[in-house]
Amino acid sequence: MNLVQIGISHHTAPVEVREKMWLSADEVREALRGFKSRGVGECVLISTCNRTELYAVGAGDGTADSLRRFLTETKDTGGEVQAGHFAGATDAEAVSHLFAVAAGIDSMIIGDIQILGQVKEAFALSQETDALGPVTNRLMQAALHVGKRVRTETSICEGAVSVSYAAVELAGKIFADLSKKTALLIGAGETGELTLKHLSSKGIGQIKIVNRTREKAESLAAAFGATVAEFDARFDALRGVDIVITSVSGPPHVLSAADLHRVMKQRANQPLFIIDIGVPRNVEPAARKIDNVFLYDIDALGAIVDRNLGKRKAELPLAETIVREETAAFLDWYNSLQVAPTITEFRDALEAIRREEVERNANRFRPEDRELLDIVTKRIVNKILHTPTSVLKQSAEDPASTRTLLRIDVLRELFGISRNGRAKHE
Amino acid sequence: MDMKFFAGLLQVLVPCLYAAAVALYAVSFFGKTPGVDRAKSFLLLATIAVHVVYLVIRTILFDHPPITTVFEIMTILAFSIAVAYLYIEKRTRTGSTGFIILSLALLFQTISSLFIRDLTEIPEYLHSLVLGFHVSAALLGYTAISLSAAYGLLYLMLYHEIKSSRLGVVYTRLPNLETLETMSHKAEAFGFVALSVAIVIGVVWLPRVFAQFSYWDPKLVGTLVIWALYAVGLFAKRLLGWQGRKTMLIAIVAFAIVVVSMMVINRYLSGFHTFH
Repeated sequence: MNLVQIGISHHTAPVEVREKMWLSADEVREALRGFKSRGVGECVLISTCNRTELYAVGAGDGTADSLRRFLTETKDTGGEVQAGHFAGATDAEAVSHLFAVAAGIDSMIIGDIQILGQVKEAFALSQETDALGPVTNRLMQAALHVGKRVRTETSICEGAVSVSYAAVELAGKIFADLSKKTALLIGAGETGELTLKHLSSKGIGQIKIVNRTREKAESLAAAFGATVAEFDARFDALRGVDIVITSVSGPPHVLSAADLHRVMKQRANQPLFIIDIGVPRNVEPAARKIDNVFLYDIDALGAIVDRNLGKRKAELPLAETIVREETAAFLDWYNSLQVAPTITEFRDALEAIRREEVERNANRFRPEDRELLDIVTKRIVNKILHTPTSVLKQSAEDPASTRTLLRIDVLRELFGISRNGRAKHE
Repeated sequence: MDMKFFAGLLQVLVPCLYAAAVALYAVSFFGKTPGVDRAKSFLLLATIAVHVVYLVIRTILFDHPPITTVFEIMTILAFSIAVAYLYIEKRTRTGSTGFIILSLALLFQTISSLFIRDLTEIPEYLHSLVLGFHVSAALLGYTAISLSAAYGLLYLMLYHEIKSSRLGVVYTRLPNLETLETMSHKAEAFGFVALSVAIVIGVVWLPRVFAQFSYWDPKLVGTLVIWALYAVGLFAKRLLGWQGRKTMLIAIVAFAIVVVSMMVINRYLSGFHTFH
């Protein structure tokens, strides 16, 4: 098949090295053009913050090594990125690897959905720079198909696998329409802000920020388009709020059970979802017992994440089966791009048409003319077959070249000759 | 096609359609099949339409609305459950609880189709169309408040799961708390209105049929007292602005009281609600 894959991922290199190998869209375009000018027939380059992978067909004068060297040279990495950081595969293994990546089962977190979009982007970039060919075109389409299948036929992408997503998922199970709800962030910090960001992208109605330092509150508020409230006035703020995220460092409790009892009375007992990210906890655990108060600390959220990761892992065999099926289908297609069987199947397809039409119209002719009918129709078919067949036979001298593969692929498609020789329209 | 034959055909077709609808709703609940979601509501609507035809044909054929025997009432009960559920599904736009509730409809319709008899000889007063409306309204009402209790129960189950952090199938499959509560409230309101209509029709129609009728009949008094309590309860919830768990508990308790009291009244106090 002449397909070569080399790549750097979280399996093979630490994050600092992976970051160095990240290519922007423009850099990818340039690299693809560079490869083409060095005689590579077809190439695709996938680059994310966690992996950079090259798929090349007909590598010209290059071996995997020279491809890797050119790739690292395009990024001025100052020798930090070494050969040992790369892993590679060829042919069937490379196909299987790409499909596993597209399925999200090779990512750091199983069931990664983002990767499919990134594969799509890589496909588009290769299309733009004319770096695609019959093999990579089909390969990338198949990869996207694998991603889609895994997403619809398995549950491997389901369930929150980060603390912030778990919190947002819970909010969705308590409240019907987030756009009519208000969220309040007390404090600051990565997880808290991330949770707020997710809520924001889910369309949360209003956001309020509270912090012991007013400047910090104001800068966060600017980032989220939120309003600020005084730390000491946080109880009043709670009255009109449905979701609270507390992310404050150090004791004492930011919200006590007694505080919340009072607040709930003031809010006519409307449901209140409290996400306590603080370590140690910001909210008095006894508050959990209050009617219509849902209190989740970081341990509880972590337990949800662990449970969901377990469920995703259980879906792995199913996803791997899909990858195997699609790899086999792709190899099947590739193997059909051989010259000899193509000529045979082409001939058989036309002969089948000839015979069918002769049978159908035989009674229009006198029996003694039947033989003549056969001869004339056979001559027509042979004449039609002549040029394509001889061109293909010539192509057989370079069976794996892009041109040959393209010709065979197009011929099969245009004449509806599927793998097992039967015309597709039958 | 002669009408009797057509009625017999529908008698078999209607439960089959319910079975198909339940199957689709179950597939939608347990699996990952995007096309099914749109198909299932459409199938439910078609099933209800066919059921209406069935009820109408039976009424014409046997000269009375199908409310005179237990099995006749069961087909209307199945119909009521399906209609009430469809209303809730459309208003709240969630179809994930369908298969549990429609299974009830399927059960009643199946029993009805299996055992229903084609009677044309029934007491004179049961021929009334008004009685038909009275019974239908009452059935719709009971169906709706039992749905209200069912959703109240589901709410409490989900509430408990989220409160205790023990998230299971209920958490994964059911809609959110707020929606369950809304569904329960809407069903309760619908049920109350339907029961009110039934009572009004009954109170107006009864004296014309039964000569010995008295407005002090314990059944009537009992019914009105319970109705009044229910109305007070509903308005109190509104006025006091109660939320969530408490109101769901009340929905379940209210349903239990209404059903139990109607059973008690019907059993121990003979009167106008006993037929053949």
